[in-house]
Amino acid sequence: MKFDLKGRIDSINASEIEKEIFDSLPDDEQSPVVLNAENLEFISSAGLRVILHIKQTHPNLKIVGVNSDVYEILDMVGFTEIMTVEKAYRVVSIEGCEEIGRGANGTIYRIDSDNVVKVYNNADALADIQHEREVAKLALILGIPTALSYDVVKVGESYGSVFELLNARSFSKIIANEPEKIDWCVDEYVKMLKKIHSTVVPSGKLPDMKETAVTWAEFMKDYLPDEAGEKLCTLMNNIPHDDHMIHGDYHTKNLELTADEVLLIDMDTLAVGHPVFEFASIYNAFVGFSEYDHEIIKKFQGFDREKGIEFWNKSLSKYFGTNCKAKLKEVEDKARIVGYTRMIRRSIRRGGLETESGKAEIALWKDELLQLLEKTDSLVFNVNELEIEAVKENLSDVQDYVTGYLEQVNCPKKQIMQISVAVEEIFVNISSYAYAPEIGRVIVRIEISQQPLTVSITFIDHGVQYDPLKKADPDVTLSAENRDIGGLGIFMTKQIMDDISYEYVDGKNILTLKKDI
Amino acid sequence: MTINKNLNGSELTLGLEGRLDTTTAPELETVIQNELSDVKELVFDFKNLEYISSAGLRVLLSAQKIMNKNGNMKIINVNDMITEIFEVTGFIDILTVE
Repeated sequence: MKFDLKGRIDSINASEIEKEIFDSLPDDEQSPVVLNAENLEFISSAGLRVILHIKQTHPNLKIVGVNSDVYEILDMVGFTEIMTVEKAYRVVSIEGCEEIGRGANGTIYRIDSDNVVKVYNNADALADIQHEREVAKLALILGIPTALSYDVVKVGESYGSVFELLNARSFSKIIANEPEKIDWCVDEYVKMLKKIHSTVVPSGKLPDMKETAVTWAEFMKDYLPDEAGEKLCTLMNNIPHDDHMIHGDYHTKNLELTADEVLLIDMDTLAVGHPVFEFASIYNAFVGFSEYDHEIIKKFQGFDREKGIEFWNKSLSKYFGTNCKAKLKEVEDKARIVGYTRMIRRSIRRGGLETESGKAEIALWKDELLQLLEKTDSLVFNVNELEIEAVKENLSDVQDYVTGYLEQVNCPKKQIMQISVAVEEIFVNISSYAYAPEIGRVIVRIEISQQPLTVSITFIDHGVQYDPLKKADPDVTLSAENRDIGGLGIFMTKQIMDDISYEYVDGKNILTLKKDI
Repeated sequence: MTINKNLNGSELTLGLEGRLDTTTAPELETVIQNELSDVKELVFDFKNLEYISSAGLRVLLSAQKIMNKNGNMKIINVNDMITEIFEVTGFIDILTVE
C-alpha cells in the first residue's frame, strides 16, 4: 500500500492525514506500507507522530523519495535508524562542467559557482559514498579542514556526492597558471600534510595502510627474483604500526583554495600508517607515474613534469625542514620502493604486461625497484630527526626545523624561543668544535611527551669526545669589565632547560636537553 | 635582522628587528666597533627584537664595555623572553634595561 505525502504536514492537518491513512491501511499488519515523500516539503512533530503511529501498527514501513530538508529532520529525530528512509536523488548534469579534481574513485566537477559534484566511477557507489562521507566527517572532527558532502545525486547512470566549495581553485590549477606562486603552494601543501600526519586516529576508525601495502608486496613476489621479493615483503612487514592519519592520494588536485581557507578533498583513501606510504603516493603523483611517459602528468595535473619534480623536491624539503640532500634522498628512496611496488602491481592488474609500452614502463620501474632494494635495509625514516652538516650556515635550517616541529605540538611561543636559544648554543658549539677543521654531520632528534608536555632534544655527532657539562659556569655576578664571554652559551642552555645529560657511546657524543613546558 | 640607525647629535639609537643570533650578531658587532667613537649616549631599542642568543649577548657586552668609557648605554622596550635571558645570565645587572 502506497500513500503520497504532499506539501506540509503539521499540527493543522496531521490528525486529518492520520485518519485518512489509517482508514485505508491494510488489515494485515505485516504487509508493506510505503510513504511517498516526493512532494513532501515540511513535516513538524505532529506529522512525525503520525509516521510513528503507522510504524507501530505496520512495522514494515518505508519512506521513499525524501528530499534533503525532510531527510535532515527524519535523521535528526532518529527515524532513519528505526525505519527505512530513502532519499530522493536529485539529477545533476555535468555536461559542459569544468573538471576540477580527480581521485582514485571518481572525478570532481564544478556544477555552479558554489557547488561541486564528485562523480564516482563505480556505478554502484552508494557504499563508497557512505564510506567517504563517514571518513570525511571523522577527519573534520579530528581537525582536518575538508568539505562535507550534503547531498547524494544521480549523474547519468552514476551516483555523485555534492559539496559546497565556494570560489575554489585546486592547487594544480594555481601551479599551472601562476607558476610564481609555487613556493606559497608548497608551504600550504606541507602545512596541511603535517596536520594530517600529526592527527591520531582512534583505533579501528580507518583502514591500516600497512595491511594493504603488504598485499602489494606479496603480489610482487611473482614478478621479482626470489631474493628481492622476499626482501620487499620483509621491509614492508617491518614498517611499524602507526595510528596517525594519512590521506593516501595527496596531490595538488585534491587541495582546494577557497576564499579564506585551504580545504582537503577526496577523502575516500584516508587511512592510518607510517608517512612513507603517503610519500610513496605523492612521489608517484608528481614523479613516478610520468617516469616513462613524461606527458602523462600534464594530462592529469595540468603542469609539466619539470614542475612536478620541482614541487616534489620543494615539498619534501619543506616537510622535513631541511635542504640536506642526503636526508631527502633517504626519504625519497624509501618512498620510491613503496611507490614502485604500488605502480607495478596496478599496471600489471590493468593489463600492462599485454602492451609494448606497458611492458617497457613496468621494466623501467622494476629496474629502479631492484636497485633500491639492494641498498635499503629499512623503509622507516624519522620525521623527528634531522641529519645535517654541522656548519653555522645551517643554523637557521636547524632552528626552522625545531621551531616548526614545536609549533605543531602547540608549544607556547615563549618556550619555543627559549628552546631555540639552547638549540643554537649547542648546534653552534658542535659546528665550531666537533669536527674542526673538517666538516661532519649531526643528528638533531626531537621527542615530545604529552601531559605534561615535555620536549626533549638530542644532538648526536661523531666528532671529538666532548662533554659540555664539564665546562665551569661563568661568574654571572661580575661587572661588565670583568666578564669573560666564554661559557655563556652552555650556561644559558643549562638555565633554560630542566635537564641536560651527556653520554659518549660508540664514538658518538649524545647530548640530550629536556624541558617541561 | 635589521638595524635601524638614528643618530641625533651624540645620541645613537639602534633599533633592532628580528633575531640577534650567531648568524646576525657579526653585523651588529661591525656597527659597534666602527660607529661608536663620537657617541655619548647609546640606546638599543628592542621593541622589534624577538630573540637573542649568547652570540647577541657578547655583542651587547662589548658595546657596554665601550660605552663604560665613552658615556652611557641603555636598552629599551625589552620583551619577556629577552628579559629572562638577561636575568639568568646576570646581564640584567650589567646592562641598563628600561
